[in-house]
Amino acid sequence: MILQTITFYLFAAITIAAGFMVIAARNPVHSVLYLILAFFTSAGLFVLIGAEFIAMILVIVYVGAVAVLFLFVVMMLDINFTELRQGFLQYLPIGGLIGLALLIELIMVVGVWQFGPEVAGHAIPQATTNGMTNTEALGNIIYTQYVYAFQAAGVILLIAMIGAIVLTHRTRPGVKKQRISSQVYRDPKTTIEVKKIKPGQGI
Amino acid sequence: MYLTFIVFLPLAAAIIAGFGGRVLGDRGAQLVTCGAVITSAILSIFAFYNVALGHQPEHVVLANWIVSGGFKVDWAIKVDTLTTVMLVVVNGVSCLVHVYSVGYMSHDPHKPRFMAYLSLFTFAMLMLVTADNFVQMFFGWEGVGLASYLLIGFWYKKPSANAAAIKAFLVNRVGDFGFALGIFGIFLVFGALDFATVFAAAPAMAGKSFTFLDHQVDVLNTLTFLLFIGAMGKSAQLGLHTWLPDAMEGPTPVSALIHAATMVTAGVFMVARCSPLFELAPGTLQFVTIIGASTAFFAATIGLVQNDIKRIIAYSTCSQLGYMFFALGVGAYGAGIFHLFTHAFFKALLFLGAGSVIHGMSDEQDIRKMGGLFPYMKVTAILMWIGSLALAGIGIPGIDLGFAGFYSKDIILESAYAAHSSVGFYAFWLGIAAAFMTAFYSGRLLFMTFHGHSRADHDVLHHAHESPQVMLIPLYILATGAVLAGFVFYEFFVGHHYAEFWNGALTVVDENVLEHAHHVPFWVKLLPLVMAVGGLAISWSFYIDNVPKWARLLGLVAALGIVGAGIAQGDGGLILTGVAALVLALVFYFGRTGAPGTLVASNQALYQFLLNKWYFDELYDTLFVRPAKWLGFQLWKKGDGKVIDGYGPDGVTAAIGFVARRARVLQTGYVYHYAFAMLIGVAALVTWYMLHSGGGH
Amino acid sequence: MIEVPALLPALPEIILAIGALALLMLGVFTGEKSLRTVSALAVLLLLAAAAAVLPGYRDTVVTFGGMFVSDSFGGFCKILILLGSALSIIISVDYLERENLKRFEYPVLIVLATLGMLMMVSSNDLIALYIGLETQSLALYVMAAFSRDSARSTEAGLKYFVLGALSSGMLLYGSSLIYGFTGGTSFSLIAAAVSGSGPVPIGVLLGLVFVMAGLAFKVSAVPFHMWTPDVYEGAPTPVTAFFAVAPKIAAMALLVRTMFGAFPEISDQWQQILVFLSIASMVVGAVFAIVQTNIKRLMAYSSIGHVGYALMGVATGTPDGVKSVLVYLAIYLAMNVGAFALIIAMRRKDGATESIADLAGLSRTRPAMAFALAIFMFSLAGIPPLAGFFGKFYVFIAAIEANLTFLAVIGALASAVSAFYYLRIVKVMYFDEPADAFDVNTGRGITAVATVSALVTLLFFVFPAPIVGAAAYAAQSLFQ
Repeated sequence: MILQTITFYLFAAITIAAGFMVIAARNPVHSVLYLILAFFTSAGLFVLIGAEFIAMILVIVYVGAVAVLFLFVVMMLDINFTELRQGFLQYLPIGGLIGLALLIELIMVVGVWQFGPEVAGHAIPQATTNGMTNTEALGNIIYTQYVYAFQAAGVILLIAMIGAIVLTHRTRPGVKKQRISSQVYRDPKTTIEVKKIKPGQGI
Repeated sequence: MYLTFIVFLPLAAAIIAGFGGRVLGDRGAQLVTCGAVITSAILSIFAFYNVALGHQPEHVVLANWIVSGGFKVDWAIKVDTLTTVMLVVVNGVSCLVHVYSVGYMSHDPHKPRFMAYLSLFTFAMLMLVTADNFVQMFFGWEGVGLASYLLIGFWYKKPSANAAAIKAFLVNRVGDFGFALGIFGIFLVFGALDFATVFAAAPAMAGKSFTFLDHQVDVLNTLTFLLFIGAMGKSAQLGLHTWLPDAMEGPTPVSALIHAATMVTAGVFMVARCSPLFELAPGTLQFVTIIGASTAFFAATIGLVQNDIKRIIAYSTCSQLGYMFFALGVGAYGAGIFHLFTHAFFKALLFLGAGSVIHGMSDEQDIRKMGGLFPYMKVTAILMWIGSLALAGIGIPGIDLGFAGFYSKDIILESAYAAHSSVGFYAFWLGIAAAFMTAFYSGRLLFMTFHGHSRADHDVLHHAHESPQVMLIPLYILATGAVLAGFVFYEFFVGHHYAEFWNGALTVVDENVLEHAHHVPFWVKLLPLVMAVGGLAISWSFYIDNVPKWARLLGLVAALGIVGAGIAQGDGGLILTGVAALVLALVFYFGRTGAPGTLVASNQALYQFLLNKWYFDELYDTLFVRPAKWLGFQLWKKGDGKVIDGYGPDGVTAAIGFVARRARVLQTGYVYHYAFAMLIGVAALVTWYMLHSGGGH
Repeated sequence: MIEVPALLPALPEIILAIGALALLMLGVFTGEKSLRTVSALAVLLLLAAAAAVLPGYRDTVVTFGGMFVSDSFGGFCKILILLGSALSIIISVDYLERENLKRFEYPVLIVLATLGMLMMVSSNDLIALYIGLETQSLALYVMAAFSRDSARSTEAGLKYFVLGALSSGMLLYGSSLIYGFTGGTSFSLIAAAVSGSGPVPIGVLLGLVFVMAGLAFKVSAVPFHMWTPDVYEGAPTPVTAFFAVAPKIAAMALLVRTMFGAFPEISDQWQQILVFLSIASMVVGAVFAIVQTNIKRLMAYSSIGHVGYALMGVATGTPDGVKSVLVYLAIYLAMNVGAFALIIAMRRKDGATESIADLAGLSRTRPAMAFALAIFMFSLAGIPPLAGFFGKFYVFIAAIEANLTFLAVIGALASAVSAFYYLRIVKVMYFDEPADAFDVNTGRGITAVATVSALVTLLFFVFPAPIVGAAAYAAQSLFQ
């Protein structure tokens, strides 16, 4: 039990620190790397509460795909980062003030964290796994109780896809492509011209 | 279903002709509007037959109009006998006027517009008479006001027409203000505005009073008084009558339709419709009687000296409306509506006849420049004679045979007499006097226009011609009505079939005064006739040179005969009638064409007083118009311009503009500024909650 | 073993989802020339969905494990949204063809956005709320940037996206707080949790603030409105027209749904926020619009102001208030669709124009168009007897009856200020020297939509009962 607690605080602390560094790091490539760190530690947190499926998904999808994509994008963009940072100091005082105020208020809220008696009754539904694997339990619930949200999420992804096509896809003229069918149906009549040349005259 | 058509056909025609005039052309617009209104008129007669004669009142709810809390108003068509009478009058006259206009406006370049306005008016009037609640009635009320404004100012390039249109609208506004207040009051008191609910609840309110400025004021008297103010405006009663004569600036068919037969009778209709309320308000009824009788008398006096053919008829209309009102005031609602009914025929006939004369005389309206027109336009002259005789109320008492006006006017006077109240007698005697004057100015109009020497320009006379058939046919129909309407419908409106004919559409609380009206002494029936014949005869002697000697003697003989009969029967009233007849006969006997001039010369002050219409316009000008103008000017220049604009709009505008220009700077276009604004907003809200909830729980 | 959830209550959504896929296929296989076909089918699809709303209109049914609710409130809003989307497509097609934006994805995106809106309106759970919202928003982001070769359009899309992501973040943060403090995401659970005796946990209130901030962004209430003018101006005009109508209605309905569905017992708490948002929106909408010279920006501030009035109705927390909001939204739909139809029709030979100055003397060059636009402007300003007046009227009445008189007074004052810029347009059209005439070829769709909405705006007062009655009935369903 104590080991779990220690692990939790370790992961949590690293996550927060990494999250902070994402916005604080001077080099955007470092930012992305810190983001990856944050993902990893969050995955660790998921493992701690027994949600190993989500933990793995987090690593595979977010670290393996999303963050690496970010990394490529950031490296490919030619942005003058010092210029972007100039505004930072200018807005720091008031921004910091507001951030601080919000932070204090949130702490105050958390400080008085307590459930009403009637809330406690239905608080935090516990997963009843009955020896099912994590994935199976998730599948069970996704296709029954949360089928609506699940399907709707599918629609969202579809929209994202359409959006990407609408905003970026262009049919460019003059692109060289292999068209197998036209290669196969090539006909000697259309492609070869036979010229009769009288001997000895040349062309 | 056909009831809906009656009401909405004219609207459809107005829309089609009004917006599609260019496509349809003149002829198309005329066909559409005439067709619609004629159909509507035929259906109205059908409705009259079904509802009034078949005793089957109908009530069609078309749609909910306003539903707001306890306030509920429908678009509905309520058809009872009263409504069908109005339907027949409105649609009947309207369709004749539509047809007549085809001829009368043949030289006008804006025919579709004119026809559309006429149809629009018809629709509004139908909405008014078929209303089952006060709000719909008000809709129609304002609709006819609008149509009247548009039609008076139809020749909008004529400044006098514009001025007349504005005057009509403004004076009506005074009345409408009273009407609207009355409606507000009714909703306040009864909590409903549909007739059925209000009338059912009315008896419970009888005699109740409320405190106003430390005085106890009777509720129903106040409400009905306010409603009556509206009726006074619309029906041009004394005080709010000034717009009606000026309204003659509009084309003559308009005068016939709106300012004689239909719209001006809306007030009479409204009072009759609200008879359940008025009956419980004796104070208002007395007021109605006094105003009605005074108007009848006052308008007749002015009519005596006017020279414009249409103005004479206009004052006559005003006067006849007075008759209707005092009939209502003494409780003879049937008589009032009956007069409305017959009056519509002969007054429309007179106006359209006058229009025919004007048309034939190249737009001349001054009767001093006419005379001797009989040979040029025989048909018009004969029709005008019929209308005038009906207006004067010529007929034979005792065997009850006469023109339409004879029946309706006499029953009104008899009712006034039979009411046996002081206001009743006031109305009776003023009505008798007005009857004399009515006959006189009708005669004057006829003699000066059609008989005697011609005073017209040679050119005009040369072109004088009879009107085309399209104008005359409506006149024939109206003339038939002017002759027969009284005889045919007398028993229904006021006679033996009264109860089953009206079928509860009119309410009388006390004994029905019409019952008594049939049993008045004979001289009461005779006196109006004496006055009418006398008036005509005197005008004859005043305006025509060669009145035969035997006619003069016949007058004396007849008068002496009445006196003799009175003495023989020992009937004081009859003797009195005879004496009056004798006086008139003597005037007739000695009357010569120079007499009007002499009279005017010797009573210059009175003449000027009458000629200037009792100085009402001047009085209003000094009392209201000038002070209002002065006040308005002061408020405009000083109050509005300097104070309010200076510190108000202009100042505020400047301030807001200043703020807006400054504020615009905030909208920088930078995403992080926007995001920042959002965060500040959230932080502010959160902080507010933290402080407000005392730091949490 | 596992019950299949009732699908019938979600019939309109299902129709849209399947229809959108079919249209997408059709478009992909027929290519870009299919814009007109796909648009026409999309309009039919939306109308079919609207028809599918009607059968279940009167019943309140909960399905999908409590995530989805179908009731007459939702039905009313859905019909408005579907109508708004359908009309937006109708007025768009000509513009897209002329401006070389002939892409069949446009109607498909509108259908998908509409699907998201319907889901928002019907959501009965924080998860459903968020998912509906994102379905809508994502489609809208893309549409804002639809004219992808125009810098202004892409900038608008990007701005909208970044700020929208921020607002989604706030919404999610708030939702997690609420979940944490009440133990449920379902509205009924939350309502049960906050309705008990004793004080409401401050955490719930905090979550409420964040959720409302997220929703306020979607309805563009001040101070979460900053994106609106830029996006309205940058996006292609038909997109702006769409933005101004359907998403506003959906977001407002969602706000009402969330407040009355999940937090009915603590209305005094959220009323405070709404009063603030309402006042700020009305004032900013009125004042900022005065200095605008671009008509789309002007309409953006106009819509901010109108959102302020609608929020006033929500702030009352009474059935009458909700009724007034619904009536307001219905009228708002008619006025804005019509006004934007005419703004889309503002074009010369060399392309579309957006400046108010271009309207100068329109009454002489295009009298009918000027008259219609004048009707909309008068109505937006709230001049009786046009429809816009009644919208405000019902809201003010509801506010006064809920003892929020000061709010109504501020609304009336803001309304007076805003009349200035609406009437200025009328003045420019009727009294200024004519500018070059617009193209005569307006397109039948635009003419029809403008005519119909002008008639509705003009004649609402003759026959208000059906809309007001339906709104009252719909409002009642939230209070059972």
